[in-house]
Amino acid sequence: MSATGTSAAVWELLDGGVKGVAKKFSQDRGQALVTAGGRAVVLAVADGHGSRAHFRSEMGARWAVEKFTSCARVYAQEAVRRGDDAANLPRLLAEARTLPQQVVHAWRRRVLTHEANSPAHGGNTTSSGPAPAAAGGSAPEADLAVYGSTLIGVVLTERLLVCWQLGDGDIVLVDEDGTTRMPLYTGPDMGDETESLCEPEAWRKARLHWQPLTGGGPPPGVLISTDGLSKSFADHEGFLAFASGVRSRAASHGVAAVQAQLPDWLGHAAKYSGDDATLAGAFPVIGRTPARPGPDNDDSH
Amino acid sequence: MTIILDVPGGSMASRPAHFIWMLDCSGSMGVNGKIGELNFAIREAIPEMQQAAQSNPAASLLVRAISFASGASWHIEEPTPVDRFTWDDVHTYGATDMGAAFRMAAAALQTPPMPQRALPPVLALVSDGQPTDDWRSGLRAIDDTPWGKRAVRVAVAIGDDADKSMLKEFLGNPELEPLLAKNPRQLAAAIRWMSTAVVKEASAPKIEDAAPVNVSPVVPLTKDETDIW
Repeated sequence: MSATGTSAAVWELLDGGVKGVAKKFSQDRGQALVTAGGRAVVLAVADGHGSRAHFRSEMGARWAVEKFTSCARVYAQEAVRRGDDAANLPRLLAEARTLPQQVVHAWRRRVLTHEANSPAHGGNTTSSGPAPAAAGGSAPEADLAVYGSTLIGVVLTERLLVCWQLGDGDIVLVDEDGTTRMPLYTGPDMGDETESLCEPEAWRKARLHWQPLTGGGPPPGVLISTDGLSKSFADHEGFLAFASGVRSRAASHGVAAVQAQLPDWLGHAAKYSGDDATLAGAFPVIGRTPARPGPDNDDSH
Repeated sequence: MTIILDVPGGSMASRPAHFIWMLDCSGSMGVNGKIGELNFAIREAIPEMQQAAQSNPAASLLVRAISFASGASWHIEEPTPVDRFTWDDVHTYGATDMGAAFRMAAAALQTPPMPQRALPPVLALVSDGQPTDDWRSGLRAIDDTPWGKRAVRVAVAIGDDADKSMLKEFLGNPELEPLLAKNPRQLAAAIRWMSTAVVKEASAPKIEDAAPVNVSPVVPLTKDETDIW
């Protein structure tokens, strides 16, 4: 649950997920890890769409998290290496803007590889009927919707917080006094419609939150979750109170205690939303004297 | 052993799923016992509707009904939890002002009174004839509401006189067809399907393309049966 870094921050991580009630399996995926020699955190959650037309979306969600994590670790390394110098921030911002395209391309390549080996519709149709022939009238067009998923990702260092979001789900930043902020919140969702990795040029729909941490360092709590969590609360304020409560309990009882209870909390929530619920979070512990990480404890969670 | 969960944050609640019957009560529904069979079918389907709703505790199914003939009115105006839902018969009283029913439904689908936190509503339309008012403007009013455009729509055409092309427009999806009921048994099957399979699909999370109307029941005539409508 915790990982140490070479600087003054020690990261404690949280992650968990449950399947929705009455569902056979979960189409969510989540991951929280420490990287860049212990000096950065990468968080990711993805929510496969889960209905009939997206019958491989659990794969789509898994690959979304894998591909984001892979790209984000490279980005985190650069953010740590160059982030101390404010002159490098414009370059890092430009790279943050291109990261969604990298992730979407990597995700599509992974999906298309799988499609080539195991076509979702037997190799000649899409979910909505015969596939349009590609130019030249030969190969059928792959139905990426079968793998559709959302994606939320975060890179957090002592100097920088970057969040990306494609589709629904929630990012909550919690301050020391429990105040919450949702940097990419666009208002309440109606129904279960969402933007998706499976759409053409999906990266154009990705939202970016860029926050150099020039003041007081990293937020005391960074939480990301799939919509199955927030939709279980009777109102938006109740969900924000949950995020604030998670952080305050992590501070008072320790992240390990919160991690132990998290499956029960998420399971309780899933009874109300009916949907899979997945959460990942990071809590910087400033001022603790860190142990120097060994070469093989880079990704600790 | 009971485990008491001390979950941080506010209270949790299942999301409401609104189901609105829109029922043709024009004079022609009084011919050959159609209105009586419709009342019977809806009443008989209630226990199965309740069972279907219970199978998904993450949704709170709320049912109400509009009747239309010469004008339209709420037959059951209060969104009623399905476990308390009962059926009082509707009666025939005139023309087929379906547009008035659509406008009434559209007003109910505005936010507010509809909450933003909800599952997509179900609009279930039953008709045996040709609309006698401006139904297109009513349909546009539904489409102009945030929940109306997201609604799961199903329709039953009773008999050959029903305006099937109009019902198809109501469904809003060229791949979908209204159900056709030409006798009491087919009507009962259609009502039962709307009350169960559609409810089940609509109250499940992630229904954006579940398209329950694609798997609508086909009830063939038995040897001793004939089309009576």
